[in-house]
Order: sequence, then structure tokens, then C-alpha cells
Amino acid sequence: MKNRIALCGALIAVGLSQAIAQTAPPPPAWQQGRGTDQAASPLAPVAGKLTATPVSELPIDKLKLPAGFKAEVWSHGTPGVRAMARSESGKVYVGSRGLGRVYEISDNGKERTSRIVVDKLNQPAVAFHKGSLYVMAIDKVLRFDGIEQNPNVAPVDLTAKFNLPPEQHHNWKYIRFGPDGKLYVPFGAPCNICELPTQEYAQLRRYDADGSNMEVIGRGIRNTQGFDWHPVTQEIWFTDHGRDWLGDDTPADELNRMSKTGLNFGFPYCHANGIADPDVKKDKACEGVTLPVTTMGAHAAVMGLHFYTGNMFPAEYKNAMFIARKGSWNRTKKSGYDVVMVKANADGTNAQMTPFVTGFLDEKTDDFFGRPVYLMQMPDGALLLSDEQTGAIYRISYAKQ
Amino acid sequence: MRSSRAEKIKCRVLAAAALLFLTSHAAAQTASTPAAPPQVALCTACHGPNGNSQIPLTPSLAGQPKVFIENQLVLIREGLRDIPQMKGMLDTLKDPELVALANHFSAQTPAKPTGSINQEVFERGKALSAKMLCGSCHLPDYSGRQQMPRLAGQNEAFLAYSMKQFRDHAGLGRDTVMSASLFGLKDNDLADLAHFLANYK
Ligand code: HEC
Ligand code: HEC
Repeated sequence: MKNRIALCGALIAVGLSQAIAQTAPPPPAWQQGRGTDQAASPLAPVAGKLTATPVSELPIDKLKLPAGFKAEVWSHGTPGVRAMARSESGKVYVGSRGLGRVYEISDNGKERTSRIVVDKLNQPAVAFHKGSLYVMAIDKVLRFDGIEQNPNVAPVDLTAKFNLPPEQHHNWKYIRFGPDGKLYVPFGAPCNICELPTQEYAQLRRYDADGSNMEVIGRGIRNTQGFDWHPVTQEIWFTDHGRDWLGDDTPADELNRMSKTGLNFGFPYCHANGIADPDVKKDKACEGVTLPVTTMGAHAAVMGLHFYTGNMFPAEYKNAMFIARKGSWNRTKKSGYDVVMVKANADGTNAQMTPFVTGFLDEKTDDFFGRPVYLMQMPDGALLLSDEQTGAIYRISYAKQ
Repeated sequence: MRSSRAEKIKCRVLAAAALLFLTSHAAAQTASTPAAPPQVALCTACHGPNGNSQIPLTPSLAGQPKVFIENQLVLIREGLRDIPQMKGMLDTLKDPELVALANHFSAQTPAKPTGSINQEVFERGKALSAKMLCGSCHLPDYSGRQQMPRLAGQNEAFLAYSMKQFRDHAGLGRDTVMSASLFGLKDNDLADLAHFLANYK
């Protein structure tokens, strides 16, 4: 993945270290944050898969959901699928990392077919807004106007307007248009743990659709790969990945709520529920830091977050969050590899997490069969769930028994 | 060492010969032995008998992890990893055929290194590899796993060349964790590592 398959590495991107290389040679970037006690650890990012997985090898029969829910294969054969966006006419666009592709999936009501809209981009994500497909890669922003009517439309290149910083690590994208019509874009920390090379990282920004009026709305955000707006308060809630190499059970990934813009969420000094970083130190590391609504498990790799607003699922799911956890690599025993349901008060209190889709991981053998990453609600209230490992998209529906 | 240009020419000639061989003999394969994928003869023209390469800048494939070969083949077919010698070669191959090739080459036995060892360089490479934790990903015996390739016994010139690529301009599709792992290393460090790994038994 570039990054092939993207492996989320524990590694700092090379350029960062180059910036500080004038002085004494820094420790090898790869070892940053990895204590001597971890030197013999064989933990490494989990391999992604670039080949298409045959339907017969999809883990659909292994998946377990609460009573009344069903998961079926909606589409397959699109390696590396991540976040999805749906157009007015019902085409589904999907970004990926390893092959840098954006897929377009068409549904004739019976079956789904896919084509590649663009490829060889640097880890692109997608959003659909007012008839246009927006594609943002680490180093490029493209807009495909009227692509539903004109499949071969040449993209408008908006890159220059967005002023994207150069580092790659953790800068793979997830993008969404908010209720305010602005485009929300995260810029991750270019390392596992470090003082930021410049202030352009570890933040969430929003832009006007054309790239103007950029505003940093939150800082200290290590690597958010999913966010959504609360259906009632319209506040943005987001997931964030904790750092690696502090041990199996710490620090936890986070679910955060942004009650106003300009908040600091802690990176690199303060993690999870107030854990001061042992490597990058500061006095009163957690002072002024907005702590998470809830922690989500160490190394679990929290990805897409979706507030459910449909009518298909039982009433108790209304306005609850579904969060996909792609699953751990920096942990002796794998964890995550599931979708959880989180209910919380609108002010963030009393968050409760319960399993929703399990079965991607065999806890006895430590083998996994898929990596759930993003959720998207369909007009009928069903949820689509993408599986980056197998390149499949599942449809989750509910029927009273 | 042969120049890469000469190598390319030699490979093309070999590949052409292999293709001829293939087309004339494809029909002769019997179903009794588990058949190697039909493209194998083409590959081994460059990658060597059973995937043990005898050409310095062409990597051995024997015993490489299956996932590594699969993913590289997709990257090469899609043009993300640009290998002029292999250009167009995989265009008509579908994913299941790439998977079959990966299965085949990952099941071959890697040849034991036979080159002469410069003990001083070898020791320097060994120490550096330990310090840089190369074995934590590639495994302590450098046999590789999953997406992380086997390094033990790989051609020395290829190892040095590919590390330089990762350090200086890893292309799209290549893994940033590998590039980051080489941070701060000089050309002579890479040469030491390559000598050690190529001769690791
Ligand atoms: C004309 C010569 C030639 C032929 C034929 C050829 N290759 Fe290659 N292959 C190369 C060279 C040279 C490289 C390394 C180039 C580089 O890294 O710049 C390579 C690289 C590879 C790699 C990446 C290995 C690594 O360790 O990075 C794989 C996998 C591969 N080839 C598989 C195949 C397969 C399978 C076939 C047959 C379908 C094949 N090749 C046919 C020349 C050839
Ligand atoms: C964090 C895990 C990690 C560490 C540490 C690591 N590597 Fe790698 N290495 C990889 C991965 C993954 C690949 C495959 C990259 C790709 O396909 O883009 C790779 C590829 C390579 C290759 C290319 C071989 C081929 O056949 O194409 C060489 C050479 C290599 N590594 C050498 C080293 C050396 C030497 C070190 C120590 C300085 C090292 N690696 C440390 C993960 C790692």
C-alpha cells in the first residue's frame, strides 16, 4: 500500500527527520517511541492485500450481529476499499490506499458493477457534493463535475488552493462535507510520536468547497480517520488513533466530541484519558486538553464513525453511533476487527460501547478474516460496511423476527 | 557487475526465447503433476531456475512470502512499480493468475548463498542490521513474512539498489515503513547491509 497497503506504520516519515538532520543525527525514525524493552518485539503493521478476494473467500458466514440483523455481500472485487460517498443518483464512490484508486460502484437493483474512476493517486479519499465528486489524496485535490452524467469528465485540479503539507505518514485522507457545506479534512501527525515538525499537522481543518477560507478547527489530533455530525446538536464527533509502542493496553484510541472550534486534543503530550507521554514531555501535559468522550481500546484502530438516523433499525439505534475498528498490529494479541455501537448523551456523558459486528477475528488462533473500516447509510436505512482487507462491501439490514 | 543495460538486453533475449518455448510446449503439460502456472518459464528466464536469480540486479523470487509476491505483481501490473524489463508482461493476467504465480514461487527453495564473504564488511552489516531492527519485521533469520520480503541470500547488487530506491525515491505503492526504516543511512551503510544479508545463511 503507497504505502502500500497502507500499513499504518509506527514510523515517522522520512522528511520530518531530514528537517532536523542538520544537528546531531537523530535516532533512526523507525525506533522513535520504541523503548529498549520493545527492541525484540516482532510486532509490525499487518499486511494489506492488493489482489481481489474471490467471493467464496469472504468471511460473510463468520460475521455475527445482534438478533434480527443480517450481513450480506453487497459488492466485491475492489481491493483496498475504504470510505464511501453516495451520489444523488445512487452511485457509490470509494477511495483506497495501496493502489491509489477511486472506484465507482453502480447498482442496477440486482447486482453491483464497478469501474475505476482514477488510479495511481497517493491514498485518495472521496466526498460527493452538489453533483461533483471530490477526490483528495495526500498531495492532490481533484473535482469531477457532473460525473454521473459524464463518466469520462476530466477533473478540475484544485490542489494549489488547498496548500497541502508535504509529509505522508498519517496524512492519508478521510474527507466529508459538513452540514455547513464546508469540506472537513484531517492532517495527521507525521510520526508515531514526535514534536511536530511544523504546526500544519495533527489538526482538523475545514475549507470552502473550492479550497478557500481554510480554518483549523481542532489541534492535537494524532490521526483521525473518521468523523460525523451529531444529528441533533450538529457537533462534530471524531475517532483518533493512539500512539504505538507503549505496551499492549495503553494508550487507548479515542472517541472525541468537538463542542466548539479551537480545542486541543492532546497530541503529542497527552493521550487517551489523560496519560502524559513518557517520550515527548511537557509540564502539566494534559492541562487544557479536551479528553475523550470514551476510550476505544488500545491499538484498536478506530476508523469510520456514523450516527444512525435511518428508520430500518429498531428505535434504540436512533442517533447511536456505529464505529468500525480496523484492528490492531501493535499488540501481542489482536484486538478490534469489529464494529461497535456507542450510545452517549448529546453532551458526551455516559458513553456505552457494545459489540455490533464481530467474527472478523478468531480470538483463539489470533487470525483475522477482514478489516472493517467505514460505514455508510443507504436511503432505506441499511448500512454499507467496507472491508479494506478483502475489498468487499457488506450490506447490514434489519428485519423484525 | 554487469551494467543494468546489458542485463536488460540479456533478459529480453531470454524472455523471448522462453516465450517461444512456452508456446510450443504448453500443450505438452500433463495434468498429473500439480501444474506450475504457464507463465513460470517466462519468469525464470530472468528470475533464474526455480526463481533463484543469477543476474545481479534481478531479484530471486524463490521462498519469498506469498503476500509479498502477490502485492508486488499487482503493483507491477498496475504500473505503480515501474520495472521496464517487465513492462506489459502482466497486462493480461488476472488476480487469480498472479496469486497462482505467487503460490508457485513462494513454494520454491531458496538457493544457499555461495559468494565469497568479506568478513569485515559482513560484520559491519550485521551490527547495523541489529541496531536498525531490520529483523523485527523481516524476521531474525531474514526469511520474511507476509508483505515483508525475504532478504537472506538475495542478490547483493539488487539489495543495495532497492534500498537506495526506498531511501531516495520510493515510488507510489511502496511501503513508507520501509523507507522510514532506512532513515539516516549512507550509501556505504547500505552496501554493508547488502553484503551481510546476501550472504546470510
Ligand atoms: C526480462 C526480465 C524479467 C522477466 C521476464 C520477469 N521479470 Fe520480474 N523482475 C525483473 C527485474 C529486473 C526486477 C527488479 C527490478 C527493480 O526492482 O527495479 C523484477 C522484479 C520482480 C518482482 C519483485 C521482487 C522483489 O523482490 O522486489 C517480482 C515479484 C517479479 N519480478 C515477478 C516476476 C514474474 C512472476 C515474472 C513472470 C510472469 C517475471 N517477474 C518476469 C525482470 C524480469
Ligand atoms: C517496520 C517494518 C520493517 C523494518 C523495520 C524494515 N523493513 Fe525492509 N521492508 C518492509 C516492507 C513492508 C517491505 C516491502 C515494501 C514494499 O513492498 O513496498 C520491505 C522491503 C525491503 C527490501 C526490498 C527487498 C525486495 O526484495 O524487494 C529490502 C532490501 C529491505 N526491506 C531491507 C531492510 C533493511 C536492511 C532493514 C533494516 C535497516 C529493513 N528492511 C527494516 C518492512 C520493514
